[in-house]
Amino acid sequence: MTAAGGNLISTSQLGHAYGDIVALHHLDFVVPAGRIGLVGANGAGKSTLIKVLLGILDPTEGAAEVLGIGVADDPIAVRSKVGYMPEETCLPLSQTAADFTVYAAELAGIPTKAARQRASDVLTLVGLHEERFRYLAEFSTGMKQRAMLAQAIVHDPELVFLDEPTAGLDPEGREEMLNLIGRLGEFGINVLVSSHVLTDIESTCDWVVMLDGGRVLRSGPLTGITGSDTVDVELLDDHTAVLAALRKRGAEVEVRGAVLRVKSADDAFDLIRDALAEAGAGMKKLSKSETSLEDIFLAAGEAE
Amino acid sequence: MTSEQGVVYDLGYQPHDGPRLGRRGAIFATIRDGLRRILGIRRKARKKVMPWVLFGIALLPVIAIVGWSFLVESVFEGLEADNPFAGHANIFNLTASMFLIFTALAGPELLIPDRVEGVLSVYASRPMRVSDYLGARAAALAIAAGGFLVIPQLILYLGLATLDSDGWFSGLVNNFSDVPKFLLASLFYLLAYGAPAFLVAMFAKRLGPAWGMYLAVMLLSSAFATWISSTTAGIGRYTALAALSINPDIVTDWLFDRSTFREGITGAGFDPVWSVGVIVGVAVVTWLIGLRRYRSLL
Repeated sequence: MTAAGGNLISTSQLGHAYGDIVALHHLDFVVPAGRIGLVGANGAGKSTLIKVLLGILDPTEGAAEVLGIGVADDPIAVRSKVGYMPEETCLPLSQTAADFTVYAAELAGIPTKAARQRASDVLTLVGLHEERFRYLAEFSTGMKQRAMLAQAIVHDPELVFLDEPTAGLDPEGREEMLNLIGRLGEFGINVLVSSHVLTDIESTCDWVVMLDGGRVLRSGPLTGITGSDTVDVELLDDHTAVLAALRKRGAEVEVRGAVLRVKSADDAFDLIRDALAEAGAGMKKLSKSETSLEDIFLAAGEAE
Repeated sequence: MTSEQGVVYDLGYQPHDGPRLGRRGAIFATIRDGLRRILGIRRKARKKVMPWVLFGIALLPVIAIVGWSFLVESVFEGLEADNPFAGHANIFNLTASMFLIFTALAGPELLIPDRVEGVLSVYASRPMRVSDYLGARAAALAIAAGGFLVIPQLILYLGLATLDSDGWFSGLVNNFSDVPKFLLASLFYLLAYGAPAFLVAMFAKRLGPAWGMYLAVMLLSSAFATWISSTTAGIGRYTALAALSINPDIVTDWLFDRSTFREGITGAGFDPVWSVGVIVGVAVVTWLIGLRRYRSLL
């Protein structure tokens, strides 16, 4: 699935500037095989990073490896193994979906006969089988996004870059696109999904790279990042007595409306049980805290 | 499960275990796609009309010439048709204007949609270099243009050979020296007309304005160059060489050893080799500009 060493992408002091405007600052990160989320606000450098990894833009400093191949050393070798779905449309409007998908496969070196078969299969996979002989100019936004995904995977790449794949889609179309992206991992295709919609990344990826202002805020497994060592307890009545009992036991407590978020070096669940008993209070809900990607993104941004 | 109930198969995803042709495959695919674009193949009907109509019109003179010669010889047996138009250089002169329109359509069609519709992003994730892309597009134009220019010449060559009094084969042998000449002349027409078409297409955003811009550049450059060079002396006479659409006519006359006075370049006293230099120079400059322009796009 990946090159020796198992790293999908690695960067070392990678930077890129458009004239005086620095888009990427000394990026140092390594991501393993799997489904990778690249998150950041608009202008964070996501698309620039993808273009540098594809060899479209030259790094102004540092280096990057994709699938174990140096992008600057052999961009053709990198391009032989990847697919790319850009943020903007990339479809020739005067062609049918079938013709263009066949052509996209042939461009990757797939012989014509196999390209036709693969195009048919992939268009079925993305739900465009019935529409494959229609001209792309006649497609809706959702259908165009699917056709763009089809061209990105028709040549069976080892890694596919998806730049804002849900942009412009309605909620239903977005859900379907995310399902498709989720399935790519099952097919043995590594995915790097760029998005500013954090929930999209949470639902599809198992590793996340956070970018802000061209810098990496955080890079790590999603479970590790969103997993939490805090416990939330929602009380039936006033929390003053419980709060005092918890603090007396050395817990760090954050009040979030009716919910107390409790962090402790000891077992937080035991601590809460004891505090509730001491205060004679009742509770509605007790659970491990769920930290959203958005919380982490905001926290990391503030820390920077 | 019975057949009445039906079965839904999820074929899932099949990895590709077969061969991959790499850069070579990508380049050939780009050439084939370019030819389809130029000729409107696997496109809507309106995309097919112009190239094929122009090709048909370009064939008419040579079919008329060869047909007329056949007719004269068959009606008046023993009399050789003395057709003043039956020469390769003449056929170039007759087809040049159709070829100019053909290149005006083909050049922009090859480059503009890819750039404007974002298709270059697809090439950027395929094993291709900028030079592969531009070279493949140029090759597609060369193949289509080759057909446009060479097929009428071949019809003339074969048609006149069949009318040769010494027999068909002797006709082929006797006139064989014309073959490299008309191939070379076709190459110069291709470079002279194709390079400016590409240059305009590299920067234009829409097909219609690109067609107009190209035709204006080709026709007005010749008119202005001729006018300026005829009214100035000294270094001003070099402007005559900017007559982009006249240069290949001069080279063709030279190749076929025909002397035609063309106001401007001939009038300013330039040898045909100057026209060769201008044609090749414009093509080289276009190539270099293309590499630079597309480096940041692909």
